[in-house]
Amino acid sequence: MVEFKIRRYDGEKSYWQSFEVPAKRGMTVLEALYYIKENYDSSLAFRASCRMGICGSCAMKINDKPRLACETQVLTLGNTVKVEPLDNFKVIKDLITEFDGFFEKLKAVKPHLIRKDDNYAEPKELLQTPEELNEYYVFTLCIKCGACYSVCPAAATLDEYLGPAAMTAAYRFCADSRDEGQKERYEIASSPNGVWRCHLAMECSEVCPKNVEPAKAVQLLRRKTAFSMLKSLLGW
Amino acid sequence: MESAKSVMEPIAWIFQMLTGLVMILLITLHFYVTHMTSHEALKYAEVVSRVAQPEFKAMYAALLLIVSFHAFNGLRAILLDTNAGMRGRKTVNALTTLAFLLAFVYGLYLLFSI
Repeated sequence: MVEFKIRRYDGEKSYWQSFEVPAKRGMTVLEALYYIKENYDSSLAFRASCRMGICGSCAMKINDKPRLACETQVLTLGNTVKVEPLDNFKVIKDLITEFDGFFEKLKAVKPHLIRKDDNYAEPKELLQTPEELNEYYVFTLCIKCGACYSVCPAAATLDEYLGPAAMTAAYRFCADSRDEGQKERYEIASSPNGVWRCHLAMECSEVCPKNVEPAKAVQLLRRKTAFSMLKSLLGW
Repeated sequence: MESAKSVMEPIAWIFQMLTGLVMILLITLHFYVTHMTSHEALKYAEVVSRVAQPEFKAMYAALLLIVSFHAFNGLRAILLDTNAGMRGRKTVNALTTLAFLLAFVYGLYLLFSI
């Protein structure tokens, strides 16, 4: 039996509740949460969808570290498993957090290809070499789970800070050879709530379940943004 | 979401890095002169006669400039990392710039009044 200590929130107060779960080899934390919901307390609220580490819905703090519940094996965590909602997000109920602000920030950096010759009536193929793909490929693996944002010290002290996920998305498109919207994104990233607020704590890269390295993306974006601004000031 | 173009932030970031690098050189030189050249180097008369030389005056004026900038720009960045600081961003920028200028001018006054 493994003891699950879950931080619950009913809309008014936050409290801890413990459940005993008969863990077996191969059981994930997500399965344990479903076991609790089905056998002990059907009011336990958590988000989950794909159950295979792709959708990013089940990110939560497990034994003090943000992880995907569907990819975390219960038996690797010891006899007691502490489960909490992600930090730096407003809790709605139990393990469910408010993601509206997070997605607003993602949207703000225009995470899509910007082309001057966009023509949906006559789409054309945009070719790219493997080297050009490698420039940004690792940053495409982000599943928007919010784990990076939840450990970011800058996001903890400044609500409007864009955060590592949004800036990784911005860099991913700025580094894409098919994209023509770098200047727009550099201006967004250069805002006072943008890249300048990163402390380089690198916790975002440490906890990313997909090894996306958001800290690296932020530093690369910061360098590109600074030099782009400098060039435009000097008229180069 | 605020996305106004900011020129101050990238410039401040570049200068924060550059002043940090120059500080390493000048502080190393300062420590070398005050601790490695002679046992008398920190005596009052020695300090006064050294700082009276134009090359040391210029070096300390440069060190004062970059340390003051680095310190108050760092303080500005720390304050802007908070919700309260960001709400009063213009005030934070103005006050830290003023503090930087005051520290530099007062330091220059002391340096040149020796």
